[in-house]
Amino acid sequence: MTADSTLPSDMAPQLNSRAATRAQGVRRFKWTVLSPLIALMVFILLPAFVLQGYFSFFSFSIFDAGDDTSFLSYFRASEWVGLDLWKDALTDDKFGFAIIRSLLFAVGVTVGCFVIGFALALLMYRPFRGQGFYYIFFILPMLTVPIVIAYTGEMILYQNGPLNDIIGMVTGTRSDAQFLYKQEVALTTIAAMEIWNWTPFSFIIMMAGLASLPKEPQEAAQILGASKWRIFWEVQLPLLRPVILLALILRFLESMAEFPKTWGLLQGGPGSATETIPVYIFITAWQFFDISYGAVLSYLVLFMMMAIVMSAIWLLRREKKSLDAMYETKPQEG
Amino acid sequence: MAMTKSQRRISYAAFRYLVLTFWLLVVAFPIFWMVSTSFKPDREWFAWPPVYISENATLQNYLAVWGDVTTHSVDEQTGEIKTYAQSLQRPWQALGNSALISVIATTLSVLFGSVLAYGVSRYQILSEGRMFQLLMLRMVPPIVLVAPISIWYSALGLLDTILGLVMLYFLTTLPYAVWMSKSFIDEVPREMEQAAEILGASRWRTIWEVVLPLVRSGLVATFLFILILTWSEYLLALLLSKAQIVTLPVELSKYQGSTEGRVYGRQAALSVGITLPLIVVGMIIRKHLARGFSFGMVRR
Repeated sequence: MTADSTLPSDMAPQLNSRAATRAQGVRRFKWTVLSPLIALMVFILLPAFVLQGYFSFFSFSIFDAGDDTSFLSYFRASEWVGLDLWKDALTDDKFGFAIIRSLLFAVGVTVGCFVIGFALALLMYRPFRGQGFYYIFFILPMLTVPIVIAYTGEMILYQNGPLNDIIGMVTGTRSDAQFLYKQEVALTTIAAMEIWNWTPFSFIIMMAGLASLPKEPQEAAQILGASKWRIFWEVQLPLLRPVILLALILRFLESMAEFPKTWGLLQGGPGSATETIPVYIFITAWQFFDISYGAVLSYLVLFMMMAIVMSAIWLLRREKKSLDAMYETKPQEG
Repeated sequence: MAMTKSQRRISYAAFRYLVLTFWLLVVAFPIFWMVSTSFKPDREWFAWPPVYISENATLQNYLAVWGDVTTHSVDEQTGEIKTYAQSLQRPWQALGNSALISVIATTLSVLFGSVLAYGVSRYQILSEGRMFQLLMLRMVPPIVLVAPISIWYSALGLLDTILGLVMLYFLTTLPYAVWMSKSFIDEVPREMEQAAEILGASRWRTIWEVVLPLVRSGLVATFLFILILTWSEYLLALLLSKAQIVTLPVELSKYQGSTEGRVYGRQAALSVGITLPLIVVGMIIRKHLARGFSFGMVRR
């Protein structure tokens, strides 16, 4: 971290005294600005990591501490179990299912948001009468608080709620479908709410992406007689790749971490139908107070997510580099 | 058989309005339902067929939730009198907490984030790799650290405090603050700063009088964007608060577990109160929303 050169490389050889003071100033500025971030990472996040590590090898549940709830009592009440908990976690079926559920949920939500968001953006990115009106409405779901959506969703989906009424009106027969308290559909319903909530996100990114596309390649293709489809597939889509990746990656990561709807509404139920990773960890650590097992699960999830996040970041960086290269060769406008 | 060009254009326009209007209904219905339920008297909350727009609209729910009024109603079949107590709920206190926490955290985040962004934009104080690593603070799901943090917080006496939540909100929103404000700062032409410097202005004066006025609206957009994130945060607020520092989303979730059973009208009245500020904020920055998460991928 210290080796970072703070000056553009072409200035380095001719470091006269003025440049040196300047570099010093920049360095001082850098560490001043970074200090709160570093302080929080060292005093809050780092101890949390260490504690988590400790408790993953020393078994401890809040119950072990009894009446004594002081911090040190946690250590006195904990007991060395080595890798036992790690072995348990790796053979824990419920944990495995939670991972599968989370992955399915995240993939479904990501694809759902993207397909709807992109389709809407394609229909809307060229100016037309009413564009602003639709845009305002379409971003609304993102501005409603997730937990509010969860509870409002329940009011709508409940058996005697308006959704069943509307289905009844359309089909002509009384519908009393269960959308939430039924194992087979619960996770799908939550996913639908999540899609409703976050389609605006994909929509906004794709709108911005489409609006920023350079016009020349399209015009050139048009002059050469390419059909609209071909222009879309072979000109627009490749240019949109970075934006598409961004929309997919961010949405995937956020839905892996989804908690307010799954927990707030169904607490992992019915049965364990909505027990996703966050819910399972929550139940372990906060309902069964099994801090140690929760710590092991958290570490495993952390490793998994780090691997995913790091590849995501690698992908994003690669795209950004190719974009930077593309825009450097062209004179910048405006 | 073959349509003329203008026919095709008209049918495309019709198709577009059809699809967009369908989605408009999908988007608007839940919001409409929330608002409409908040005005329903309690016998209509669970009525079948559902009541779409109440003919007996009432402010009862708002008064019960936000006012200091205990309300009761008479069950029409049994004649039983039901009283709804107002007191697990302290919405004004929760509103105060939410406002305080999100405003302080957002201010800090944008303050440090934008200064850092300036440093990155002008002096490359962080390499691009580090800028992307910064994103990890946001991308790793908070659930994996919240248990040890709560233990560590209880040792430090930070559990159930405003400071405790502010620090974590600061950390988790900083990446967005840096990236978003950088996108605005990058747009300020360097020539203007150089000109000011040649005219003898100091570094700080240049930033204060040349750069800041040009990025002001961008910083406001960044501020509001992050305010949306901190205002609606649920997980950390739920797990790191016990009794004192309850934020609005957590307050709302208390209704779900309340012993009185479902009280849709009350929940809706509270929900409207939570959502309204965000919608106002979102409308103000609607043109800038895309920047919040485009990380330099969208060029204009």
